[in-house]
Amino acid sequence: MNELPNPVAHVAAPQNQQWKQKAKFQKRLFIFLATFPAFGGYMLFTLYPNLLSVYYSLLDWDGIKEPVFVGLNNFKDMLQDDYVWRALWHNVLLMVTITPLVVFISIILAYLLANKGYRFHSVFKVLFFFPNILSLVAVSLLWSFVYDGSFGLLNAGLRLIGVDIGNYYWLGEKKAALWATIPPSVWGAVGFYFVIFLNAMSTIPKSLYEAAILEGASHRVRLFKITIPLMTPIIRVAVLFLMLGVFKGFENILILTNGGPSGSTDVIGLYMFNIAFGVGIHNYGYASAIGMMLFVILVATKLAIDKFTTNRDSEY
Amino acid sequence: MRERRTIVDTWWYTILLMWSVTILFPMIWVFYESLKTNQEFFQSVWNLPEVLQWTNYKGAWQKYGIGSAMVNTVYYVGVSLVIGTFLTAINAYVLTRLEFRGRKLMWGIIMLSLFLPGINALIPQYILMRDLHLTNSLTGIIILDSFSESAFYLMMLSGFMQSLPKELEESGAIDGASIFQIFFKIIMPLSTAGIVTVAIFKCLALYNNFLGPFIYLGDPGKYTIGVAMYQASQIMQYKADWVTLFAGLMITMIPLIFMFIFLQRRIMEGATLGAVKG
Repeated sequence: MNELPNPVAHVAAPQNQQWKQKAKFQKRLFIFLATFPAFGGYMLFTLYPNLLSVYYSLLDWDGIKEPVFVGLNNFKDMLQDDYVWRALWHNVLLMVTITPLVVFISIILAYLLANKGYRFHSVFKVLFFFPNILSLVAVSLLWSFVYDGSFGLLNAGLRLIGVDIGNYYWLGEKKAALWATIPPSVWGAVGFYFVIFLNAMSTIPKSLYEAAILEGASHRVRLFKITIPLMTPIIRVAVLFLMLGVFKGFENILILTNGGPSGSTDVIGLYMFNIAFGVGIHNYGYASAIGMMLFVILVATKLAIDKFTTNRDSEY
Repeated sequence: MRERRTIVDTWWYTILLMWSVTILFPMIWVFYESLKTNQEFFQSVWNLPEVLQWTNYKGAWQKYGIGSAMVNTVYYVGVSLVIGTFLTAINAYVLTRLEFRGRKLMWGIIMLSLFLPGINALIPQYILMRDLHLTNSLTGIIILDSFSESAFYLMMLSGFMQSLPKELEESGAIDGASIFQIFFKIIMPLSTAGIVTVAIFKCLALYNNFLGPFIYLGDPGKYTIGVAMYQASQIMQYKADWVTLFAGLMITMIPLIFMFIFLQRRIMEGATLGAVKG
């Protein structure tokens, strides 16, 4: 076959070549036009600033005056800054309360809807998810109204059931404020994890449950012996996301209390934010140093959780 | 046995109902108070409004500049959404279905952003925006938000595009279609479902975005809805005009409520789609 000349190919070759060249050029042009704006924007607005923050953390700089290179001084200051440690402590408290609360509530809700076949199943599902699409501003404002001492829903509700605590300003009391920021976060986050868990549960084979029912296993046993063990991988991801999210998050607290009263709700992100953009303070160098620390903590937490959870897995 | 089961069932049901009440009650309460006069509200939280004060909504609209904030928000969300979604779609296509040098590297660099907490870049980003004269302008945050590629959306869409058969492009090429035509006439229409999901999520994220507009927009005439409501709530403490504030909060939630009613299935499916991948 090879020796036979192919007249068609022979004639078409130069034209084909040209066409190929053109297609190649078009492809290159297309790739360039498609990637350049977004990738360039990403490099400029995300990657470059992230790298730059390393350099900023070594400066004494308010953004206007000539920056002064101070080496690791910002980091030294940070270690001696009690406010940093207080803020970090608050982060830890929020992390160890919000994460289990969200996971626990969403698993229970998901289990109930997945296994009981209630009527109004989809109504519940939609309703539970709804808070998740509300903005942090909306959720936080809503809850700040609920918490108001004089006219808030919470105190009015408590009075209704016979608990009169007067005009207790939940967000204005040093002792209560930090704890009061927890329910809005849980309220806003449960919907998302509930839907994730619900979907994961629907993939668990029904036969497992049927066998358990035959052996007379109660709901609690089924939940803890079948559902939760089978969902460990997805729960692990949820825990990781929640922990990191709580550690990074500060917008809700900015809106609810802005760290007050007298710093009792300050978290590390908010502290950094206020040092950089707060009224009258623009200590960009120091704030960047705190940001670096936050970055290190987040990465370390992620790695630690990954390691910890994979080790646990191998025990099975 | 049967008896016990019903009791347990009732307990379970109670849990579902309790959570429903927890979700709904604060929102219903705000709605209900938003229709009172301030006097009625101060008298008792529980009283019914004598006359429904729909004027509170008008009041909020004017006093807190919600009118202009809404216009700003629609402009900001609309433009960023169109540019951002288009760029995400075209990028997902190029990065998942075309072979070229540097593709893997590019993908890796973008995926790096999943490890970077946004807060870290805040300060240099602010200085950059300031030096580019993009602060205090809606154009500035539109540029920032439409061109900051998000690995999350890219992943959402690339999974979708990968599932399309490879023959599509080949047969298109044989018919003499240019790559532009292949993308716009074949890939885009077939990926509509994925693109729409990304667009919905971008829309929610942009509408709900607080920190960016809060940092970059200083002039009240340029506030987006979230910033306007936050500033209104800060002033409110001194004015004790609660009902208008309630009305304002309702106004910010209404677009979300409608969006959710019409698109809930898509939103809930999309949420899990992204999470399973992440």
